[in-house]
Amino acid sequence: MTDPITEARQRAEGLKAAIRSFYDGVMPADLKRKSRLHQVLDKDDYVRWMRLLNDQGWAIGHWPKEYGGQAWSLLERFAFEDQLARLGCPWVIPFGVKYVGPVIYAFGSPEQKARFLPRIATTDEFWAQGYSEPGAGSDLAGLRTEAIRVASSEGDHYVVNGQKVWTTYAQWADWLFCLVKTARGEQAQKSISFLLIDMRSPGVTVKPIPTMDGYHHVNEVWLENVRVPAENLVGAEGEGWTYAKYLLKNERTAGAIVGMAWHALERLKSLAAEAAPASRDRLETRIGELELRFMALEVASYQAVESMMRGTEHGAEASLIKLRGTELYQHIAEAAVDTLGLAGVAWDAAALHAAAPPPLGPEDAGGIIKDHFYNRAATIFGGASEIQRNIVAKGVLGL
Amino acid sequence: MNMDLETAAMLRDSAARYAADNYGFLQRHAVLREATGYSTSAWRDYAELGWLALRLPEAHGGLDADPLAVGALMEVVGSRLLMEPVLASAIVGTGLLVKLGSDAQQVALFPGLADGSLRLAFADAEPADSPCRVRGGRLSGRKISVLHGDVADRLIVSALDGDNGGRRLYLVDPAAGETEITRYRLVDGRGAANLHFAGAPAEPLGADTAAVEAALAEVLDEAAVAACAEALGAVRVLVTTTCEYLKIRKQFGRAIGTNQALQHRAVDMFLLQEEVAALTLAAQQALGRPAVERARVVSGAKAYICNAARHVANEAVQMHGGLGVTEELDVSHYFRRLMVNAALFGGRDEHFARFLAAGQKLGAGGMHA
Repeated sequence: MTDPITEARQRAEGLKAAIRSFYDGVMPADLKRKSRLHQVLDKDDYVRWMRLLNDQGWAIGHWPKEYGGQAWSLLERFAFEDQLARLGCPWVIPFGVKYVGPVIYAFGSPEQKARFLPRIATTDEFWAQGYSEPGAGSDLAGLRTEAIRVASSEGDHYVVNGQKVWTTYAQWADWLFCLVKTARGEQAQKSISFLLIDMRSPGVTVKPIPTMDGYHHVNEVWLENVRVPAENLVGAEGEGWTYAKYLLKNERTAGAIVGMAWHALERLKSLAAEAAPASRDRLETRIGELELRFMALEVASYQAVESMMRGTEHGAEASLIKLRGTELYQHIAEAAVDTLGLAGVAWDAAALHAAAPPPLGPEDAGGIIKDHFYNRAATIFGGASEIQRNIVAKGVLGL
Repeated sequence: MNMDLETAAMLRDSAARYAADNYGFLQRHAVLREATGYSTSAWRDYAELGWLALRLPEAHGGLDADPLAVGALMEVVGSRLLMEPVLASAIVGTGLLVKLGSDAQQVALFPGLADGSLRLAFADAEPADSPCRVRGGRLSGRKISVLHGDVADRLIVSALDGDNGGRRLYLVDPAAGETEITRYRLVDGRGAANLHFAGAPAEPLGADTAAVEAALAEVLDEAAVAACAEALGAVRVLVTTTCEYLKIRKQFGRAIGTNQALQHRAVDMFLLQEEVAALTLAAQQALGRPAVERARVVSGAKAYICNAARHVANEAVQMHGGLGVTEELDVSHYFRRLMVNAALFGGRDEHFARFLAAGQKLGAGGMHA
């Protein structure tokens, strides 16, 4: 019998090879170009991209076979994200396939599974995540959005009031999975429920939050007397915290950051080759140090994934990957901006949308700057670096 | 060069008062939307306040300000993120004209500089494949990333003297024709331009190559030091703002600033602020020293401040959480300004290399030997 880790490694290598030939043979040229230049993708681009992945069986490769997935091991899943990012592919929008899908198949009713899972797989419905609130960023126990259950002759429903914030692509979303308080005064963990909200419901308002990269990613979502059928509650009332933790675990084991760092490092190396000779020595040393840090990230990440598969993990693995990955990626981006010199501060936000060339520097200069801005948030979202360190201090070091 | 510390402090206070009353964050938002990339009414006010005459000689009604006074103003420019061409026109452009202009050029141009009707931009960086060259009084070639080159009334352009050899400076009127201007914004919202000259009329500035080289080196160092003072103003605001936020933002039932880890990071930001202030002052004082010593201190300061300001800006964004990257909060605007500040008048690597080279020239004894 083959050792399951060895088998997973072989399958992961096979998957990576398949992705590379998909990129060479199937990936449309316009998507390749946009993502290579780090230009802004619109909703149609993303939907097309997610469907292409689904056509390969990859969008939900990590789902169990009974829901149409391939029951990927953690390693395949990690390698999948890593490989796509190394090729500079677009973001695999996680809200449906990676976040809410698994919550629904793990905890949802048969009706919810039948209603939602197929349309998540095909991105026929676009999802957004309603977690953070103005007073509840890292501290989700501080949630204030309230859902009050009301009985009526047409069936029970919840009336939801509150405000969500940092909701990525809410402007495109058909559905919002949302953490709400369904009980007052009780211990925070016991009062939170997991609700699926139709974004077309009366009382849902989306307001953009402009960010410094000149792009519209995130929003405020206001919920005013929004009526949500009781059958859109996932699992049991008061158990939302358990589901949220399950989801966060999926969110935080991310191979993409490894591939993104690799991709950015390769680009930095080619930029440096064109840099002025005067600064090249210093740049080469700096790049060498970044390469070494990348190697540490890469080996530690893959060993961490295998530990998780063996059940020998210490609990800090996901935090290590996120901390080291995002911080390294930010430092690579800074080195790229420095290498661009004056072209690293020349900016025409509109050019990123209109696909016009930047005023200075190589074709992707604007994209490099945009990524630099956007990735300042990488150490903030999905569990800020400070929270990751708290997790390790408390959960692993017992401090 | 006869202003003292007290005068500089008075200038700083009055500039800070003006900016507080007239250049608040919301008022600045309106400026960002203006086609010129800056406020024409604020620019007129600066002329009335005498800021634009700061660098002009007393004989021409100017204040003949020393680097401390210039720094005092630049600190305010950085603390309120003023968008007007103070650095490009009133300090760099004016400085070059003061050092190199003929009597006729000075008489013709100084009054406009003082009253704000004449805005100068200095065009130096150029693509390697298209250097600027002047032959028979006509300028050809390209310049890139000219700060406020989008609005300048006169350009000071570095170019090869195709008739006599050597590198010279030239005055060019972009409206006189044969100058194509590609206008754009920098990441901090200030205007810039790429320029393409195709035989534009160019008037020499400075008597000869040697005079130009010496004056240019001095003015570029002045510019780097002014940029340091601007960074100091921005850094001070970020440190203060971040400490305030640490006190008011509550998570897990208490102010996030009660966490020792964040307190220590705030302390490190403050220590950097103090080093930025100290290096800025040292660099201002070094401007009057012999060339190698000046290079050592000025470039050391600029290189250190590029790194320090980046660290402070990164930490300010991080500790403000998601708010830190929004347009709505001033933090992201300071972040972007400091990015531009670090790239202008020599980046960190360039200045670090110059710092090392100057150290080798000074020898083992160093400056204090």
